[in-house]
Amino acid sequence: MRYLIAAFVVFCLIMGGGVAGAQDTSELEQIKREIRNIKADEDRERQRDEELIGQLEKKVEQLENQNHQLQQSSSKLQAQTSQQFQDLQQQISANPSPSQFARSFEDYLGTHQFTLTGGVGGDFIYDRQTATNTFALDFEPIILYRVTDWLLFEGTIEANLPAGGSAEFSMPVATAQIFLNDYMEINAGIFDQPFGDFYEDQSPFWVNRFVTAPLPYGVEALVPPTDLGVQLRGGVQWGALGQDFDYTVWVSNGPSFAPDVPQPVVGQAVNGVNTIKLNTNGQGYGARLRVYPFPLDSGFGRLELGASTLNGKWLDGNWYNAWGVDFAYLRGSLQARGEYLEMYRQMPNAHADNRQGWYVQLGYFLNQVPIPFAPEVVQDFFHRLEPLVRYSGVNQRAIVEDEVSTIPEVGFNGSPSIWTPHPREVALGLDYWIAPSIVWQNEVDLELPEAGGSIISFAGSPTPTITPRGATPNDVSFLSQLAIGF
Amino acid sequence: MKRTIIVLLLAITALGVCRSGLAEETSKAEQRRLFREGARLWPVYCSQCHNARPGSEFAPYQWNIIMMHMRTQANLPAKDAQAVLEYLKASR
Repeated sequence: MRYLIAAFVVFCLIMGGGVAGAQDTSELEQIKREIRNIKADEDRERQRDEELIGQLEKKVEQLENQNHQLQQSSSKLQAQTSQQFQDLQQQISANPSPSQFARSFEDYLGTHQFTLTGGVGGDFIYDRQTATNTFALDFEPIILYRVTDWLLFEGTIEANLPAGGSAEFSMPVATAQIFLNDYMEINAGIFDQPFGDFYEDQSPFWVNRFVTAPLPYGVEALVPPTDLGVQLRGGVQWGALGQDFDYTVWVSNGPSFAPDVPQPVVGQAVNGVNTIKLNTNGQGYGARLRVYPFPLDSGFGRLELGASTLNGKWLDGNWYNAWGVDFAYLRGSLQARGEYLEMYRQMPNAHADNRQGWYVQLGYFLNQVPIPFAPEVVQDFFHRLEPLVRYSGVNQRAIVEDEVSTIPEVGFNGSPSIWTPHPREVALGLDYWIAPSIVWQNEVDLELPEAGGSIISFAGSPTPTITPRGATPNDVSFLSQLAIGF
Repeated sequence: MKRTIIVLLLAITALGVCRSGLAEETSKAEQRRLFREGARLWPVYCSQCHNARPGSEFAPYQWNIIMMHMRTQANLPAKDAQAVLEYLKASR
């Protein structure tokens, strides 16, 4: 447009040149100035346009960079997502490891968990003196209910089949176990007496190597088998691995004696448990300590040394005191254990009722004994055998005739020769281990009572008749038991 | 300032990841140690009273319960009971 105006002005100047004269010269100058101005304007505008173009180019470049970065990020994300997807697919298709599965299953089950263990014993019992042969059955499930990792409930139900009737049920154990820390635990309720090793650790059918209990823990027990109260217990390693010490202290209803006779007499049977304590205002107090002197790596085997005591008033102000020492030794296929215990019972109107009991037993598992040249079947049978021997005895001043029962039951052969003031028993056993907790046990009991002591009899009278026991005939019994721990 | 904060955050995150990885490694190492110790204790401690029962007889959750019971029954030291439990659960 500007060029058109300038051309038009020049044309006018040329066309009117002859007419204008000197006046034309000044006009020409003005036109030149205007042309220069126009050129200058054009230069400025060009410069501004170039600047604008430069700015736009920069912006385009920035946008291109941003676009490139976005593309890179997008590719990276796509790659990561693909990898994660592949990982997940692999995890889903792969089987979980046993520990992963176990953890997941435990999470699924929740913290409140329970399980059932226990045992069952089916016996055949023969006694020569009473000419009895019978089958017997006892079933003892243990219900364990875990509330948290510091609280466990335990309940044992005992069901047996007594002579001539339907099943009998009892609840020998029902406790709450509260774990306070690594070294202390409270055990409250009705529990196996923590006195000695037998009641608490050896009494289950499949744990006891023999069918019967040793005499001091049998029908003429010196200590109540169960008690009702509160225990504080725990264990600690005091030296190298395997060198442990453990303790149990308890307060309980304590002992009481069978109320079936008109008045307390020497030799009276101790009650299995003192459920509701009406016999005395005093409590029973007990303590048990055990130490394991050998380290695991010493090569000397595992030795346990223990000591126990139980004290309390059994009737009004009359004391009952019991103490005992015990040992257990395990080395390879050999196991040995034994106990000695004493009981003192203060009597209201007579001499004290003192009793002693002991047992020692030995067993040897034949699984390590080589039998060259024997067929595999024979070797397998032989290696499952465990021969055993046990000697036990009790000393007391008298036996109460009214309490004598020769009815056999699981764990008792029914021999009358046991019901004497000085019973002695040699038990020979042969166990055949079908599985670690399933055993077929065979036992021959040689009852060899010593003479001495008295027989106390009421026979319906309020006052007892006391006669010397004299010699008691020997006896032989045979028991065969299938014991299953589950 | 913003850059410093980002660097600090990244450093803290990296440290956290390293520490968590380290804890996991320690936990696994501890489990392995307990397993080895349990393998030594299991035949001795259990056989003190009865035959040692293999881990396959019960599910791991059952062993949790049974070992609480056995810790009471045998007055086992807590750490030894834990080692035997690890062994029984892992040796199924």
